Amino acid sequence: MNLILRTKLYWGLIAIFLIGVLGSPTTSSGRNIFLSAGNLLDVLRQVSTTGLIATGMTAVILTGGIDLSVGSMMAICSVVCAMLLTVPGDTSAVWLGIPSVCLAALVIGAACTRFLFLNIEKSRAAGARDAVLDRMRGVGIPAVVGLLLCALLLFYLLPQIDHKFGVIGVLLITPAVGLLFGTINGVVIVAGRLQPFIVTLAMMVTALGIARLTAGQNNAVLPVYTGSNATADFENLRSLVFGIVPMPGIFFLAAIVLYAAVLRLTPFGRYIYAIGGNEEAARLSGIDSGNIKIVAYALSGLLAGIAAVLYVAQYRQGKPDAGAGLELDAIAAVVIGGTSLMGGRGGLAGTFCGVLIFGLLSNILQLHNIDSNLQLVLKGLIIVGTVLVQERNASDILSRFQLMMPKTARNPTSAEERSSKEILSLNNIGGNENETS
Amino acid sequence: MKRRDMLKFAVITAALATTSLITVNSAVAADKKWRIGFSQATTIEPWRAQFNKDIIAEAAKHPEVELIITDGEDKTEKQVADVENLIRQEVDALLVSPKESAGLTGAVQEAIDAKIPVFVLDRNVDTDKYVQFVGGDNKLIGEAAGQYAVELLGGKGKAKGNVVEIWGGMGTQPAHDRHDGFHEFTDKESGIKYLLDQQSGDWKQDQAYNIMATALRNNEHIDLVYGHNDPMAYGAYLAAKDAGREKEMKFIGIDGLPNEGVQLVNKGELTATFVYATPGAEGLRQAIKYLNGEKVEKTVVLPTMKITKENAPDILKANGL
Repeated sequence: MNLILRTKLYWGLIAIFLIGVLGSPTTSSGRNIFLSAGNLLDVLRQVSTTGLIATGMTAVILTGGIDLSVGSMMAICSVVCAMLLTVPGDTSAVWLGIPSVCLAALVIGAACTRFLFLNIEKSRAAGARDAVLDRMRGVGIPAVVGLLLCALLLFYLLPQIDHKFGVIGVLLITPAVGLLFGTINGVVIVAGRLQPFIVTLAMMVTALGIARLTAGQNNAVLPVYTGSNATADFENLRSLVFGIVPMPGIFFLAAIVLYAAVLRLTPFGRYIYAIGGNEEAARLSGIDSGNIKIVAYALSGLLAGIAAVLYVAQYRQGKPDAGAGLELDAIAAVVIGGTSLMGGRGGLAGTFCGVLIFGLLSNILQLHNIDSNLQLVLKGLIIVGTVLVQERNASDILSRFQLMMPKTARNPTSAEERSSKEILSLNNIGGNENETS
Repeated sequence: MKRRDMLKFAVITAALATTSLITVNSAVAADKKWRIGFSQATTIEPWRAQFNKDIIAEAAKHPEVELIITDGEDKTEKQVADVENLIRQEVDALLVSPKESAGLTGAVQEAIDAKIPVFVLDRNVDTDKYVQFVGGDNKLIGEAAGQYAVELLGGKGKAKGNVVEIWGGMGTQPAHDRHDGFHEFTDKESGIKYLLDQQSGDWKQDQAYNIMATALRNNEHIDLVYGHNDPMAYGAYLAAKDAGREKEMKFIGIDGLPNEGVQLVNKGELTATFVYATPGAEGLRQAIKYLNGEKVEKTVVLPTMKITKENAPDILKANGL
C-alpha cells in the first residue's frame, strides 16, 4: 500500500517514458530511436544544467521560499569561469573570484571546526563547562582554521593569475562565486525579514548587471568568451565517462543523490521540512530557522555555480545571457515533481522525475519533428496533464464539476456514487505524499 | 485506490493512442530518398523567418527530399539538443545555421563523428571538418552600401555631408563587418563627417528611433543615415519623420527582405537597401548535389544586390507581394 502511494510520484515519468517508447520513430534499419542508449544519454546530458539548478531550488522551495536569481547567478559564474580559463592577468573575473573563494574558505573552515567542537561538547558530560574555553571555541579556533584554509588556497591560486587558470582552480573559484551570491540572497532575506521573491528578483537583476560588467563592454551585445582556447583538461568535463555516460550527467546525478541524502538523513534536512511546514512552530521548538534558510539559499547559489562550469564545458563559452529563463524551468521541474510551493512537502525524488519529464518531453516532441510552435503548445498541455495525473484522481475532478452544476443534479442517488464520494473524502487527505520519513 | 489507478491507466492509454496517431502521421515520409535535417537558430527574427521560407520553397522542388526543420528558440542549449536529436534520427545530411559559433562547435563535431555530412549556413563554427560553408559576406555588403553612399553624397572625390551610422550589436561580427566595409569607401572622402560615435541600436527599430531622435536634436544637418539593418534604418526614418525632417536626408539599410526592406524602399521611405541573402535555398541545393555524389566547393559566398525604387516592384512581384 505504502509502495503504491510512493510510486505516485513516478506516474508522470512512467507515462511519458511509455509514450516515448511506444510512439518512437525508428531508424531506416528499424531500430527504436528513443530507446537507443545514445538518445537517452543525450537527454541526461541536456537536463544536467537545469537539473543541478532544480536540485538547489527544491530545498529553497521546501523552506517556503523561492530563488529567482539562479539563472543570473549561473550567467555570472559562466562569465567568470570562461574568463579565468581564457584571459590571463588580473581581469574583473579574478577580482570577483579570488575574494569569493577566500570568503568561502574562511566561513566553511570556521563552520566545520565549530560544528566539530559542538559535537565534542555534546558527547562530554553535561555541566562541565569552562566559559573562557567556550568563547575560544566559539570564535577563536574556528577563525584560525578558516584563515589557515584561506591562506592555503591563496598560496595555490595567486601564482595562476598571470597565466590562465587550471581546471582545479576554476572548479574551486566558479562555484565559490555562486556560493557568495546565494549567501547574500539568504542573508538579506533572513536579516531583512523580506519576501524571498523580491530579494531574489532583485538579485536576478543585479547579478545580470554584474555579469555584464564582468564581461566588459557597454550594455549592448557583449563579447562571448569562448573556451576554444581553454586548457585542454577542461575539455574532459564535457567528455564521456567510461565512454558512455556524459560527465555533466554524472555531476547532476551525484548532486541530487548527495542532496537527497542530506535532506533525508541529517538534522539540517529535517529542519528544512520543519521550517517549510510551519516556521513559527519550528522556531519555537528551538530550530535556528535563519541559519538553515541561509544555507539553503547558499547551496542554491553553489549549484548554480557548478551548473555554470558544466555550461562552459559543454558549450565552450561563458556569457551574460547564459541561463536566461532557467529559473522558470527549474521551478517548473520542482513543482511537477510534487513539491509544494507553500513549502514543507515534496522532495528530490520528485524533482528528479520532474527534470526528466521535461527532458524526455522535449526529446520526444523533437524526435517526432513536430512543428516547433506546436511543440510549445503541446508541452504546456502535457505538463498540466502530467501534474493532474499525478496529483488528482478523476473522481475528485468530476466531483468539482458536480459542485458547479445546479443543485438537483448533485444528489448522489446510486450506491456507486455515494461510495465514490466516500473514497474521495478518504483520498483527499493531502494532494501528494510527504516524503519525510 | 484501485479505481484511481484504473482511471490513470485510462488517461495513459488515451495518451498512447494519441501518440500512435502522431507516429502514423510522421511515418508518411518513409518513401523519400534523402532525409535532410536543418537546425535553425531561431524563427522569430524576420530574416530567419525568410530563411526558413526559402529553404521550404526549395525543398518543395525536390520531391525526393524530406526536410526536417528544428527551431533552437534562440538558445544555444536548445539548438545543441536539436542537432543531437537529428543525429539520433540518422539524417543523411545536416544543415546548421548556428546561433553562436563557439556554442555549436561541439554539436557539429558530434555530427561529423557520426559520419553525417554537415553544411554550415550563415555563421561559421570553430572547426573546418564540415563539408561546406554557405553564407553572405557582410563586409562585401558594407562595401556596396559605402560605395552607394559616396555616390549619393556627390560622387567620388567630391562627396560631402553628415552621416549618421547606427550600429547593430556592439561586439557582434556582422555589425563590425558592415561597419568596416562601409568605411572602406566613405573614409576616403574628406567631405564626409560622422556625427555619432559607435551608437548601437542592437538591431532593433525602437532603439534606433531613440538614437536618431537624439541625433536630430543635436545636429542641424544630417544628409545620410546608414543603419546596419532595415528595421534600424526605418526606425531612424520614423524619428526624422516625427521631427518633420525626413525629406532632407537619405536612408540606407541592409538585409532587403521582401516583406520588410523591399517594401520600405518601394514606399520611398528608405532610399536603398542591400540584400543579405538567406543561405537556405542554396545550402539545400548544395547538400542534394553532395548526396548525389557531386563535388561541392568548401565555401560558397552569396552575392548581394542593391535594391532601389527602380527594381523594388519587380522583387515584390517575384515574391508574390
